[in-house]
Amino acid sequence: MATVKTKKTTKSKKASQIPVRYRVIGTRPIRHDGVDKVTGRAQYGADVQLAGLLHGGILRSPHAHARIRSIDTGKAAALPGVKAVITSADIGPVTDRVVDLGEGATRLQHLRDNILASGKALYQGHAVAAVAATSPHIAQEALRLIEVDYEVLPPVLDLREAMEAGAPLLHEDLHTDDLGTKSMQPSNIAKHLRFEKGDLEKGFKKADQIFEREFLTSMVHQGYIEPHNATAFWNADGRLAIWCSTQGGFTVRQQAAAILDLPVSSIKVIPMEIGGGFGGKIHVYLEPVAALLSKKSGKPVKLVMDRAEVFEATGPTSGSHIQVKIGARKDGRIVAAQAQLAYEAGAFPGSLVVCGMMCIFAPYDLEHQRIDGYDVLVTKPKTAPYRAPGATNAAFASETVLDEIAEWAGIDPLEIRRLNGAKEGTRRADGLVYPRIGFLETLGAARKHPHASAPLEGPNRGRGVASGFWFNVGLKSSVTAAVNSDGTVSLTEGTPDIGGTRTSVAMQLAEVLGLAAADVKPQVVDTDSVGYNDVTGGSRVTFATGLAAIEAARDIERQMAERAARLWGVPASKVKAAGGVYRHATDSKKKITFKELAARLDETGGPVVGKASLDTSASAGGGFGTHIVDVEVDPETGKVQILRYTAVQDVGKAIHPSYVEGQLQGGVAQGAGWALNEEYFYDDQGRLANASFLDYRMPTALDLPMIDTVLVEVPNPGHPFGVRGVGEVPIVPPPAALANAIYRAAGVRLRQLPMNPGRVLEAILTRDGKPPSKA
Amino acid sequence: MKNFAYINAASEKAAIESMSDKALALAGGTNLLNLLKEYVLAPEALVNIKGIAGLNAIESFEGGLKIGANVTLSELLDHAEVRGRYPALHQALYDIGTPQIRNMSTLGGNLCARPHCWYYRYEYFDCKKRGGQGCAAIAGDNEFHAIFATDGPCVMIHPSSAGPALVVYGAKVKIAGPGGSRDAGIEEFFTLPAAAVARENVLKPNELVTHVLLPPPNGKSATYEVRHKESHDWPLAMASVALTMAGETAQEARICLGAVAPVPWRAAAAEAALKGKVVNETTAGEAAQKAAEGAKPLSGNKYKVQLVRTAVKRAILAAATGRRV
Ligand SMILES: Cc1cc2nc3c(=O)[nH]c(=O)nc-3n(C[C@H](O)[C@H](O)[C@H](O)COP(=O)(O)OP(=O)(O)OC[C@H]3O[C@@H](n4cnc5c(N)ncnc54)[C@H](O)[C@@H]3O)c2cc1C
Repeated sequence: MATVKTKKTTKSKKASQIPVRYRVIGTRPIRHDGVDKVTGRAQYGADVQLAGLLHGGILRSPHAHARIRSIDTGKAAALPGVKAVITSADIGPVTDRVVDLGEGATRLQHLRDNILASGKALYQGHAVAAVAATSPHIAQEALRLIEVDYEVLPPVLDLREAMEAGAPLLHEDLHTDDLGTKSMQPSNIAKHLRFEKGDLEKGFKKADQIFEREFLTSMVHQGYIEPHNATAFWNADGRLAIWCSTQGGFTVRQQAAAILDLPVSSIKVIPMEIGGGFGGKIHVYLEPVAALLSKKSGKPVKLVMDRAEVFEATGPTSGSHIQVKIGARKDGRIVAAQAQLAYEAGAFPGSLVVCGMMCIFAPYDLEHQRIDGYDVLVTKPKTAPYRAPGATNAAFASETVLDEIAEWAGIDPLEIRRLNGAKEGTRRADGLVYPRIGFLETLGAARKHPHASAPLEGPNRGRGVASGFWFNVGLKSSVTAAVNSDGTVSLTEGTPDIGGTRTSVAMQLAEVLGLAAADVKPQVVDTDSVGYNDVTGGSRVTFATGLAAIEAARDIERQMAERAARLWGVPASKVKAAGGVYRHATDSKKKITFKELAARLDETGGPVVGKASLDTSASAGGGFGTHIVDVEVDPETGKVQILRYTAVQDVGKAIHPSYVEGQLQGGVAQGAGWALNEEYFYDDQGRLANASFLDYRMPTALDLPMIDTVLVEVPNPGHPFGVRGVGEVPIVPPPAALANAIYRAAGVRLRQLPMNPGRVLEAILTRDGKPPSKA
Repeated sequence: MKNFAYINAASEKAAIESMSDKALALAGGTNLLNLLKEYVLAPEALVNIKGIAGLNAIESFEGGLKIGANVTLSELLDHAEVRGRYPALHQALYDIGTPQIRNMSTLGGNLCARPHCWYYRYEYFDCKKRGGQGCAAIAGDNEFHAIFATDGPCVMIHPSSAGPALVVYGAKVKIAGPGGSRDAGIEEFFTLPAAAVARENVLKPNELVTHVLLPPPNGKSATYEVRHKESHDWPLAMASVALTMAGETAQEARICLGAVAPVPWRAAAAEAALKGKVVNETTAGEAAQKAAEGAKPLSGNKYKVQLVRTAVKRAILAAATGRRV
């Protein structure tokens, strides 16, 4: 279904010139779930308690790569209190096929093998067996009684080594999909993709200088505060209920159905409150295991990961190796750009290298481009999306090279971006032609911001700039909205609320109906209680579920107008609704408010329920951000201190500005952690050494200054209020912006993340030449 | 975590009688519980020592302080004399963990805490301390490991941030065991892996640290810690310095490094270099160069040699000027 992309398109386009007056949009009401969250009453997955609940645990492979010769569960099963022990054999046979569960095509066998390893364990932490017992403690003890006979195989940890012929193979039956043709030999390269535009060689010939650079980034984790959890009950009637922490109840339902070979309708998923996801709570890990344990024991079973399990066995995001070659003219014009991106997929295919490919040069209007991408298997956990997946690594490469070009050409970093900047009509290398976008506006706002011209005093200080792009995926959302007799509306959604979307969606419904935000009672419900919804991801919920809420509101408004017409005994066409008041088109005495009308529904035909189910993909609006950062580098310790940070972003229209600002600040905080602190330390056997927050250094509020945000509003023509995706863009620029700032402060260009004290210090100690002049 | 018996010791004697290599003392638990959860330690019993009378006071003693082992790091930080007379200790404690961790952690626990080495803390790595054959850190990710005394058999860094400060003040550790009580000099208390790889100090399994004795300070002191994050984090390198000053000249200098060796690492060459010198940027820098002499960094932690120099120089200047640098 194509959405609201009708007449409204042109209308909201005009809105960019004439400011529209809203009553609710753009205000900052208190969030609907606020009290429950701050008083600790909100129910998370680990809070689930059911009569007869058993507690599960998962045995994980201590080896990064090993053939499982046999598993003996006898002793564990015999331990008093143990009610079920399972291995991959309990999943039952199923013919392998390709399934698309909204996350791209995947082999069913791979999905299943990631839940419980069958032939081989492919990363340290890979689930091998599971236990349910009467207490978590007994479950832990039982796990230690399971005997697994492993044939240890050599791990493959470096993605460049993994790509070489002769590297140990993770999947002996996997052949490279090389630009559409299958490779003859099996390989760890799952896929080779290419985007091409113009004539690269021709472009490079026009260059006055060619910059060729190489970048490495480490595998990093989203670091959400709440570990994964799942409680399942497989009822005697064959119906399965799953309570869990997820970005999408329906995707859990689909994945669990495919893995367990059940019809989707026999599974009900109850998404609990979620303590962060950032892309990491889309794949299922525990849900099917809890289900199988419940099936075997006849009791509900709860599984909760500890932090080490989260690090070792969920989906961090890809480490990467990126090569960039850019040709520029003396006037700062880029004439050709080439990139090769190799991303770690982890143990099973499916890194988001393709997103990195789409984003790497996305902010620029470049005639000649070629971008190659490789999805590479390594013996590490299967990677998952992480906020703008793939784009942060990519921008770290392209945006630091651009900074070098700016310096070489003697052009201001903001100016070189403007000079080459993408606008409406620019075609990306992957073929997409931009509708109205606001990249240049972010550069203009950044230039005007006092930060851009503030003097940078003191030694060892530098200022960096970088930009970035991310999509807004659109996808499918359904809502229903029931009018209550007291004039409020109960809004039922199916997209878990991570960033305050109950409120941002409710506000859009309220705006249309002329209600206050508090008059709308939003809730996120289980998969039996609302139409299909895609995941909370891709910066889509305020946009897409918002569109559904707008449609549902219009549905209500139409029905309410009919009721008013019935009250007055006039045809419905005579009733006009605006701002929550229903008026007779010609008789000015006949008017009734939404609230008055709501009280009289029973006498006019009974309840009113609005609904909408939309696929919003065609009208989604991506966004651009431009960040400015000042740092001080301690030349004697290599420590980087962020002094000031400003994030400018085109957000389309900020429905609830506080939440949008919060998204920008959160994205910057995570981007800064990725840039300066975070990395996975694997030993040469592929075992993770820092699977805890003691050693995985995420920044906290104390590590960052106040992050200033500037919301630029260039409306998305595909949304009546102009909403764009905002949640992911802000994580894209920080590593590049920080690298550029470090260069200006200390004269060293870092091309490897993280830029931790050891790395910065070694670069400083081996640097030749003097620090450059300040930006 | 393996099941264990819980013994609430009411007295030093009761604790000592219960303690063995299978029954470990439990103080704040901030270190011990993590190790139990990871099955690094799986004792049969825990002996809670927090209820022992007399181990939770800070008293005046021979012009200095007598600090009970169960005194928490927060209590030490709040103590006027610690803040006023022992700035090197105060500054060292100030940077440990978070307020919650400092509220729970005891001084005894801090001195006896087990290594923070990640190869020790996860049971699937080879670790001589846990009875293994080799040391995973030597070929592994060792950016946070020792740069001194790296000849083996273990390249851990001692986890106590309080240790170096206590060394420069010449503290003593009061130890109670089956045979009675004895005092050990703080430097004798910590032992190198070469002496006994499984342990980090002289304590026998049935011995308890009961007090730390701090002599009166005679001069100026400071600690400087280099760490990665601003918020709670472990030091990458640190230095505690105590100077006996005559005007601007350092008559005596005691300098001890932290987070760079399996024990708090006394920098004797740096002390000698500073002795008798007017303390300024140049002399502090020269002493700092000396402090790094003899370092044998591992494959991944050469950067720590420079961090030692930085920490020593800044600690010397901070001690001399009374200002943080
Ligand atoms: C996030 C975090 C950051 C940290 N950062 C730092 C840091 O920067 N610097 C630093 O120094 N520490 C740091 N720590 C460690 C912390 O200081 C120690 O965990 C704490 O000092 C241990 O004290 P406790 O009382 O909790 O000891 P426990 O955990 O109870 O015991 C630790 C060990 O000492 C033994 N023990 C305890 N008391 C005695 C006694 N009186 N006699 C004999 N044996 C005893 C126990 O048997 C056990 O083996 C950090 C910890 C965390 C969690």
